[in-house]
Amino acid sequence: MLGFLIGEAVRDLRRAGRVAVAAILLTTLSLAALGGFWLVSTNVGLAAARWRDRVRIIVYLRREPATADAQALVERVQAMPGVATVRYVSKSEALGTLKQVLGKDASVAEQLPTNPLPASLEVTLTAEGATPEAARGLIARLSTLNEADDIGGGIDWIERLARGRRLLDIIGLSVGAVLAVAAILTVTTATTLVLHLRRQELEIMRLVGASEVVVRLPLLLQGMLQGLVGAVMAIWVLIVAYTIAGPRLEPLVSQTLGLERLTFLSTQTVVVLMFAGTMLGGCGGWLARGRTEP
Amino acid sequence: MIELHRVWKVFAVGPVKVPALSDVSFRIGKGEFVTLHGASGSGKTTLLRLLYREELPTEGDIDVLDLDVPSLRGREVAGLRRSIGVVFQDAKLLPGRTVYENVAFVLRVLGTPRREITPRVFDALRAVGLSARAQAYPAQLSQGEAQRAALARAIARKPLLLLADEPTGSLDETMAAEVIDIVKDIWAGGTTVLFATHQAAVAARLRQRTLTLVSGRLVKDEG
Repeated sequence: MLGFLIGEAVRDLRRAGRVAVAAILLTTLSLAALGGFWLVSTNVGLAAARWRDRVRIIVYLRREPATADAQALVERVQAMPGVATVRYVSKSEALGTLKQVLGKDASVAEQLPTNPLPASLEVTLTAEGATPEAARGLIARLSTLNEADDIGGGIDWIERLARGRRLLDIIGLSVGAVLAVAAILTVTTATTLVLHLRRQELEIMRLVGASEVVVRLPLLLQGMLQGLVGAVMAIWVLIVAYTIAGPRLEPLVSQTLGLERLTFLSTQTVVVLMFAGTMLGGCGGWLARGRTEP
Repeated sequence: MIELHRVWKVFAVGPVKVPALSDVSFRIGKGEFVTLHGASGSGKTTLLRLLYREELPTEGDIDVLDLDVPSLRGREVAGLRRSIGVVFQDAKLLPGRTVYENVAFVLRVLGTPRREITPRVFDALRAVGLSARAQAYPAQLSQGEAQRAALARAIARKPLLLLADEPTGSLDETMAAEVIDIVKDIWAGGTTVLFATHQAAVAARLRQRTLTLVSGRLVKDEG
């Protein structure tokens, strides 16, 4: 019976002709747009996560503590929530680092009468601590330390990147949603056309006592089939675009996002897109079914 | 098998109420062959549509196969219709399917096991003398052949009751005679038949109990 119903759905799809093709193309377009934004968003997210790992908060100290005091201070900071690691940087180590940075101009530092650089603590954050709220809380706590003179660093710029990513997600979802509605309406039109073409068959089916499931399931399956074909085509479009454009975008991606290469959508995301396409089509088929209730 | 008690069917056309059937009562027993005779517009089709619940009566009781037809819902309606074969004046064959496929289609939608379909289709086609035309499309059939194919489709399900709505209405005398003979054969096989016709000659040729409708009223029950 299921084979017969699927056969009827395929037959209906062929009958819908150009309208079915238009519905499939619109589904392809909406899912390709959605998938495209998803791909960019995923990579921005990867970049943000990578940068978040490199975030440091620097606690500049009023005066250089004795070794034992420095160790005690490190332990106190280490115990604060959201702190992953704490490293004490003495004044001399800071000056050494400056000289390394200055390179051949390091002699400038040697001419200084005294070392002007403060001792400091380099604090890295845990995954939970690397949110703007948690980082602000930690900075507030670090500011209360008697030894602290000034606090540098933070993750506000990463937050701006995350906001950009969210904006990208919203744009992607909005464009995808508009195209998805268009796809649903086109599938509905294609299914309604098939209903019109099949009215004699439906009449016969009802006349001989076919169950409503048998009468209506091919319409739903036809819509789902259109959606699935559209989704497969959208994924194919994304793969082709990724294969062609990916290598060419590598330098740009490396400079802007700090990633070696663009990452393609995960298998899970591909499955979600295919499921979404099938459901989009099913929705269209279902709507047509509702409108043609005899 | 069929029992109607004081059945009325009134259609509302805007503010005007048009009675299609007025106070119709009769009973048809199992295995009977009954002709329903009346001019066009006398209410024959409406009466048949009430029997397979394509219409609901405005008033009155209708029992078919021991089922209270007006009270049936959803699946029960489908169940009733599975026991009834219906043929129409215009055959209603599906144009994109062959004769074989037209008959097989109804068996498939009713979930008949695949292995049973072909033998049952050919049994039905043999019964109407159409097995040689199994692969023909409806457009390639004469009107008589199309009507025989519709009969094959109706009997392939082995219905207990056959409702024939003017099956000879658009056929010439020879073709009509062929169809009548086939319907009589089906009846001889044990199926109860209600045969609607506006043709007095056909009613006479059937030589069976005849119910006569005039303007929606049952005026005669004879034979």
